[in-house]
Parts: sequence; C-alpha cells; structure tokens
Amino acid sequence: MNHFLIGFAISSLFRRGAKSFFTIFIFTSLIFLLSSILFISNSIKEELFITLKSLPQITVQKLQAGRHTNIEISKIDKLLKLNGVQSAIPRIWGYYYFEKAGVNFSIVGIDSFDKQYKKSFEAIVKDVDFDELYKNNSMIVGEGVDKVLRENYYQGVFNFIKPDGELKKIKIASTFKSATALESNDIILMPKDLVLEIFGMNKNEVTDIVLEIANPEEIPTIAKKIKNLFPDSKVITNSDLRVSYQNIFDYKSGMFLALFIISAFTFFMIVYDKASGLSSEEKREIGILKALGWKIDDVLKAKFYEAFVVSFISFLVGVMLALFFVYTLQAPLLKDIFIGYSRLKPVFDLPFAFDFQTLFLLFFLTIPIYIAAIIIPSWRVASMNADEVMR
Amino acid sequence: MIECKNITKVFNQNKRNEQTALKNINLEIKSGELVVLKGASGSGKSTLLSLIAALSKPTIGEMVVDDKRVSKMPDNFTAMFRRQNIGFIFQKYNLISTLSSYENIILPTIPSNPDEIELDKRVDELLKMFDITSKKESHIKNLSGGEQQRVAIARALINNPKIIIADEPTANLDEKLSLEFIDIIKELKQQKRTIIIATHDPLFFNLDFVDRVIEMKDGQILCS
Repeated sequence: MNHFLIGFAISSLFRRGAKSFFTIFIFTSLIFLLSSILFISNSIKEELFITLKSLPQITVQKLQAGRHTNIEISKIDKLLKLNGVQSAIPRIWGYYYFEKAGVNFSIVGIDSFDKQYKKSFEAIVKDVDFDELYKNNSMIVGEGVDKVLRENYYQGVFNFIKPDGELKKIKIASTFKSATALESNDIILMPKDLVLEIFGMNKNEVTDIVLEIANPEEIPTIAKKIKNLFPDSKVITNSDLRVSYQNIFDYKSGMFLALFIISAFTFFMIVYDKASGLSSEEKREIGILKALGWKIDDVLKAKFYEAFVVSFISFLVGVMLALFFVYTLQAPLLKDIFIGYSRLKPVFDLPFAFDFQTLFLLFFLTIPIYIAAIIIPSWRVASMNADEVMR
Repeated sequence: MIECKNITKVFNQNKRNEQTALKNINLEIKSGELVVLKGASGSGKSTLLSLIAALSKPTIGEMVVDDKRVSKMPDNFTAMFRRQNIGFIFQKYNLISTLSSYENIILPTIPSNPDEIELDKRVDELLKMFDITSKKESHIKNLSGGEQQRVAIARALINNPKIIIADEPTANLDEKLSLEFIDIIKELKQQKRTIIIATHDPLFFNLDFVDRVIEMKDGQILCS
C-alpha cells in the first residue's frame, strides 16, 4: 500500500475543499434519502408481516343486496359441523363516527369467556384484563383514540350516541399500546353487549364469524364448502386478506418507489455531470503528474482513493443518519407519506428491520458508479500525451 | 547519449490547422554535455525538448536515449523512463499551486513509494542547496518567482536524474535571479549531468561551461 499516494489523494480532497465538501454533502443527502426510504419500507413490511400473522384463517360474512350485512349467530353450529373447522367465533364490530373530531373509531366487541377471541387480540394487545371490562362496563382504547378523546375534553369517559339518540356513557378502563399499531390504533375494545347496544344490533346477529382451521392446507376447500352451505355468504380466507393488505402496502410503497427513483435519478445526474469532464485545473494537474513520471495507473489509483474516500464517507454518514432518522426519530414526514395524514393515523414505532441485502444493493449501486464517474474522465485525460494535456 | 534520428513532428495532422513543428531533425547529445538550444519563439525548441523527455512522440523518426528507443515505448514505460532519467524544468514551472514546496518536490517520487526518512533527507538536501529551507512548508502561491523556480529545480532533481531539461528557465526571472540560475546549472554540470536548455536569453550563449549552442529556426537546426 503506497501511503504517499493515499496521502496525496486525501490532500487533493482538502485542496479542493469546497468542491469536496459539496460533493460529500450531496452524496450523503442522497444516500440518506435512499436508505431512509429503504429502512422505512423494510420496517413497514415487518409491521405488516406481524399483522398478517394475527389475521383469522377464514372470515364468514353475509351479503344482502350486494352489501355486507349482519349474519345470524345460529350459523355457527352448522359451521362447526364442517370437517376441519376447529372453532367458530362470532365477532361484533363496526365503525363509530365521532362527528366532533371527524374521525371513525373501530369498535370491537369481546367476550370474557371467549378464550379464542381473546387469543386473536393477544398479538396486538398486551397487559389488559378483559374480565375487568365486564365488571365495570368499560372499554379499552387504542392510543390514537385516546389522543382524540383527550383533545375533545373526554377524560376517562366517553358518551356514545345510540341509534335511538340516547347517550351511553362508557368508562375508559385503559389504553393499549400495541406492537402492530398500524392496524390497531383506532380500535376500541368493549364487551359485546355494549357494542350491540351502541350499534342497535339484534342479539341473534353478529358482524361476522371467524373460523380456525386445524390444517391450513384445507382452508380453500373449507371456504368452498361454506359457500355451498350458505350461498348468501362471503367467505374471506387469510390469503385474500393478505392480498388486500399487500395491495394497500404496494400502493404506498409505489409512492416510496417514486421518491426512490427521483433520488436515484438525481444521483445519476450528478454522476453524469462528473463523468462528462474534468475542470481545466484538474486536467493540468494530471498533465503535470504524467510529465513527472506518473503512470496512467498511478494517476488512476490516486483518483480511485479520492473517489472511494468521498463515496465511502458519504455512504457511511448517509446510512448512519438514516438509521438515526428512521429508528430514533421515527422518520418524521417520511413516515407520514406511508401511513397518511388521518387524524387517527397510527402512532406506531417503526420496528427495527435491518436488511443487509438492501444495504449491499445500495452500496453497489452508488459507490462503484461514483468511482467510475471519477475514474473514466481521469483515464481519458491520463491516456493523452502529458505535453498535450499541459498545453 | 541522446540521439534524435530524422525527427519530424506534425501537430493536428491531416486537419486544417496542421502545423509542422520539427522537420527532419538529426542530433546527438553526449552524456554530461550541456547543450543550449537557441531560437525565436515557434522555432521548435520546446517541441524538441518534449520529444527528448518522452512527453510526446515524433510523427516520423526515432528518439533513442542510452540505446533505448523511447519514442517506441508504450505510455507506462515512457512514464517510468521520465521518472528515472529526466528532470524537467518547465517554462512556467508547472508547480501545483495549492501544495507546499515539500509536497511539490516529492511528487515525482510518490509512485515508487519511497522510504520516508531517506526522502525527507533528500528533500532537505535540495532545499539547502537552493537556499529555500525556510520555504519547505510554504504554499507555492506564497512564493516569489525565483523561489518557485528553485522549487521546480529541486523537484526536477529529486530522483537524481541523468538528464536535466530546462525550457526557457529564465523567461520569467530578472537578471539577478537568471544569474543565480546559471550558477545552479554550472553546479549541475559539474555533477556530470546531461543538460539541455532551450532559451533565447543571450546570457546563456557565451558561458564557458556550455558545450554547444544549437540554433533552431522554423523547426530545423541551422547550426550546431
């Protein structure tokens, strides 16, 4: 390793201080932006993966006039008789529009004795005593709901307006912070009877029925059987839900992709600008070095060290800043692009999902290209006669 | 021994602005000889120097230095040849203005990754020889013309070359500094180096230690 050559390359960066600083600044900013996008994207994928794992295997809904309507609870017995169906859980849920704040809450009814149902919430709700809800006629709210209620001066209690216009006062037992806030931030959990009362629903009906299947391979076959058994039903499998979640994610990630393309395009424009030529001062310097006995590869090595130092420092700083921005600061502004600007937008923490493969891809898409952009014009000049370059 | 055999140099060949800088030059310069090339601007002196230094190649003919056909060498070999054999003092010095004197002087040694202690010793020697020790860390832009020229000479000598080539070395100097330069050349001549100086400065024409004055005109040697 020729430390004189490395020293010369580094001193060249300092000699062209303003230019070097500007290049590092632009390069770092682009790497920061590109890696932030990738980190957020990976993080949200991870969040989505956790959510998908907790989805019901089969959801049975009733359709009437092409619309989703409540389903008779009596159908559970018939569903349980199907081979392979391990459990059938009636769900009561719906949306409550809070006019004052202009937001929708998702209200979900739960049964204290229904262990399976509680299990489905285990992934998203932690440290909650469901039995307490029954005793006190109270509810558990997501962080987003809690925030909106507080903003509207509801401290520990909320008055729901029932379909007949009467008020139903329900206490807030606690607030849950879930691991998958992307999905559960607007949720209110309360006893089923309370939900039925607030929505004015018939006690013999539920919103839908979720099934647990012993062998996941049998899900499509059982879904077909249900459709035959209840022609007026809509049978949603977990793979259907996965597709629909994925579609939402893909739509959002499309925006990220657009941002990524713009950043990458800017990077390549800068690279093209670099590759299209050297300043007269840089050309003259190469001519002098050649006249003093530097070989073409000596000149190129010096230029390589210069470009590598600039690009590697920029890459490291850009990635470190992106890590700090995404995982410590929780990607302000950029995260909003993905999760939207709803007042009830999830306040979830981006889970740490570090994908080395993506990082390597970013490394090999930027650093070698930048180095080539420096080396190629230098090579063109260094290949000329020294006399010609200096003239 | 430097041999120029039937050298012709044409710039911008086959273009509208084609220009013949040298026409059929034949010249021999012995080792240890001090030769002055004289002639008006555009006579071909600088072109001949750059061919001898292997900075460019002749259009026709051959340049031979110590039995090596330098004009036929590939680019990397001519670079090695220059580094090991040639010390070139350019008319405008061609120093890198943003580097210090020390950094400029060591430039020709960098590709060979020299021993740092020996290199520092050699640089100090040269700085002392040319009386610019105090300017070691000064940036070139902060040096006077004479000081810059001394740095350029020190740089030309750092690899201890056998051949020293100077192109119009006194063109930017006053008489006092020109005389100082002549003293330096005299000392280098005493060290048995081959020296070729292209100049139209009359100060060089009647020096007793100059072996030959070669006059050039329109790319040809008039008399030697």
